[in-house]
Amino acid sequence: MTAPGSSRGPTVIVRVVARLLLGPSVVVAVALIVKGYTKVGDGFAAGMVVGLAVALNAVALGARGAEEALPVLRHAPRVAAAGAALALVSGFFPLALDEPVFSHRPGPDEKVVSVGTAELMTAVSFDVGIFLLVVGVVTVLVHQLAEPDQEHPT
Amino acid sequence: MSDATTGEADPSTDTQRDWQGWSCSAAAAAGFLVCLVGWLRGGGTLSLPWAPKLGVRLEFAFDGLAALYALLATGVGAVVFGYGARYLSQHLADHRRPRSERRRFWPWMALFAVAMVGLATATDLVLVFVFFDLTAVCSYFLIGFDRERREARTAALTALLVTIVPAVALLAGAVLLYATYGTFSVPELVERVEPGTTTTVAGLLIAVAALAKSAQVPLHFWLPRAMEAPTPVSAYLHSAAMVAAGVLVLGRVHPLLARSEVVLTVLLIVGLASIAVGGVLALGRDELKQVLAYSTISQYGYVVTLYGMVGASASGAAAFYVVVHAVAKSALFLSAGAVTTATGEDRLSHLGGLGRRLPLLAGATGVAAATLAALPLTGGFFSDELFFGAAKEQGPVLVVAAVLAAALTFAYIGRYWMRLFLGPITTAPAALSRALVVPVVLLALVALAVGVLPAPITQLAEDAGAVSHAAPVAMSPAYHLDLRATNVMALAAWILGALLLAATGLRDRVSRALAAAGDRVGPRRAYTASLLGLRRWSGRVHDWETRDLRSSIAAVLVPAGGLAAAAFAATPIAQAYSVGPISGTDWLVLPLLALTGVATVVAARTRERLSIVLALSAVGFALAAVYALRAAPDVALVAVLVETMLTLVFLAALARLPGTEPRRETGPRPGRRWRDPVIGAIAGLGAFAVIWGYLSEPREAPSVSADQIRLTPAAHGQDVVTVIVADFRGLDTLGEITVLLIAAVGVATLLRRGRLW
Repeated sequence: MTAPGSSRGPTVIVRVVARLLLGPSVVVAVALIVKGYTKVGDGFAAGMVVGLAVALNAVALGARGAEEALPVLRHAPRVAAAGAALALVSGFFPLALDEPVFSHRPGPDEKVVSVGTAELMTAVSFDVGIFLLVVGVVTVLVHQLAEPDQEHPT
Repeated sequence: MSDATTGEADPSTDTQRDWQGWSCSAAAAAGFLVCLVGWLRGGGTLSLPWAPKLGVRLEFAFDGLAALYALLATGVGAVVFGYGARYLSQHLADHRRPRSERRRFWPWMALFAVAMVGLATATDLVLVFVFFDLTAVCSYFLIGFDRERREARTAALTALLVTIVPAVALLAGAVLLYATYGTFSVPELVERVEPGTTTTVAGLLIAVAALAKSAQVPLHFWLPRAMEAPTPVSAYLHSAAMVAAGVLVLGRVHPLLARSEVVLTVLLIVGLASIAVGGVLALGRDELKQVLAYSTISQYGYVVTLYGMVGASASGAAAFYVVVHAVAKSALFLSAGAVTTATGEDRLSHLGGLGRRLPLLAGATGVAAATLAALPLTGGFFSDELFFGAAKEQGPVLVVAAVLAAALTFAYIGRYWMRLFLGPITTAPAALSRALVVPVVLLALVALAVGVLPAPITQLAEDAGAVSHAAPVAMSPAYHLDLRATNVMALAAWILGALLLAATGLRDRVSRALAAAGDRVGPRRAYTASLLGLRRWSGRVHDWETRDLRSSIAAVLVPAGGLAAAAFAATPIAQAYSVGPISGTDWLVLPLLALTGVATVVAARTRERLSIVLALSAVGFALAAVYALRAAPDVALVAVLVETMLTLVFLAALARLPGTEPRRETGPRPGRRWRDPVIGAIAGLGAFAVIWGYLSEPREAPSVSADQIRLTPAAHGQDVVTVIVADFRGLDTLGEITVLLIAAVGVATLLRRGRLW
């Protein structure tokens, strides 16, 4: 994509909108996850929403610019790994209890503690794992593809 | 080359013994003793479950047949390994290869012996197949031991292909029998199998595998080539192991084969043809080991012929023949190796008169040759007596054939021995290590002992014959000083053989003519041609498939679409491919689908990259809208998000490509313009047929999705899709997101040498 400051770069409006959209996109993502078990949407869709916001930032500011504006992006690989680990643990912890994998707790017909519409159960933590992994992977991919001139393969 | 000179050049040869070889030899000798005790105690069976659902068992039986071949494999093995322990050091030194190369030799030899014993004792056809192929794999590495030589590598590959490809027929035959009679176990099959087409076909399939292994015409050509192997390998493979494995299988399943006249006739014809072809070609060969290789083909032809005759005497004679031949042939091979080591020559035309310099070797080789020629006082006399006796029961045609076969054997082995040890000395031999002569003498003594005292081998052969014949077998080989039929036949064979030996001109001309004919139209030519043809074909397909990305994709899409459509077209489905009424939101869906169609055509026809990307994203968004209208909001949401991201990523990737136009390949070719649309249409129509056929099928069984919808509240959810993703099919989801992670690592590897950030 185009670097900031180049003569044919995106307009100021695009840059501002890109930065402003990041907050709402995260809120939408959280909403998608929280309401996931009762309404449309799940961890994957939420991850894609955040990923799109990051991609918009990369388009508007360039990979390096986005990284400077949002230093937190640097942790994307770690976020992806953490998401994979969370998903793995949420899916496989029943093995330690001698149950089949993906036997979520609380089980069927047990009481679930809910905070609003969000239910505190391992299926949701698995969904959160997916969300983190998708966000991390998409951010890494956008970063890799948005900076064509950073390193020439020799 | 001699022991003395090597000693000077490499003083450590003698001090540093080949302990691997000697321990193999000792292990084989121990195995021999165990087998001997096992046989004397009456054998036994062992049956363990292996794959019960498939009816495959680890079923072993130590019966007469197993005892015979196990004793051969271990007994001849012990002698040959002892010889090899000395020979291999010399061989490696001659080829300037490090002594550590032994590690590439002895394990295979040992495994070979184990596989042979396993094959001898296995009575489950699948197990037989496994050991059968195991011997082939071992032979591949052993024949190709001199792997720096191209001929050795080709020979190894030929032996592997020619024996392993027909081995599949053995498995096919076994499965055929299993499908009809419900067991792989040979003893059970013998009880159940009845004559019929299935039995004939299965018998033929098994016979093909066995005959290829035993180097019978027309699949014999691998054996002479396999002479590229070091001498101990040849001696072992072509006497007691590899080649014997074929007739061993024949002997094991013979009660089944005997239920079909066709199979027996085929065996008879192939056996006689092999005797003739092997014998005549052996008459004219110049290289020592080539003579012996063709002789092996011919000699196993005897055994196959015997299996082709029905009767107790034939089965017993076949077993007896195998023992005597294995002893004699391994002695001859070892002697050939000793001669080559002593003189550095491996051609009869360069050798002669060695008898005066190497009297012990000449004597021992003479005994082995006399055994093949069936002279009295050797075991060969009895094996031919039994052969003649069995032939006599079959009628005059086989009597004549048997006499001619024996005459041919007498002639070629006589020529071999006389050329080698009589006449003027052409190449002076150097002193020979005793370790290379003693094994030959030992084997010759065994051949003599059988000739004087045939009782133990007769007993063994009777036991083995009883397995092959599925009934007790009694034989009484003995010397009779009268003019009974077998004696007359033997006399006739010797006289004819001597005449053939004297008629050098005729003999050489016939042999050469047959060899030339074989080179021109023989099976080896067909083998080479088919191999080259396969390679060319594979190369052409590969070139086409990897020419560019589009061909690679087409190579997947076209067969996939075609096969799926064919499968659906061939499956009769009631009420499939029906069109329902159009109502409600369908009027919104139809224009969207039309838009999808237009965008697809644009994507297929345009050459502009940007247009392709935009057309594809139009397809994606239109379909997302269709999902939304068809009440699948979850799918629609994900489709929109993914489509947006995909378009962005595509554009980012395009920015990395040089130039804006796709590179034109060698100008516009006729038909090229339409290639991509046609390929896309085939794949798309295939998928269309599949989906239409599937969706319009009336469903009777309750579907999985109904269950999932019912269970969703119990899983504390109200959105079925999310619950499926996170709970019901959670493991699938985990696999899919792992793919995402791998994709990210892949992109990082391609673009940044693995750095994720």
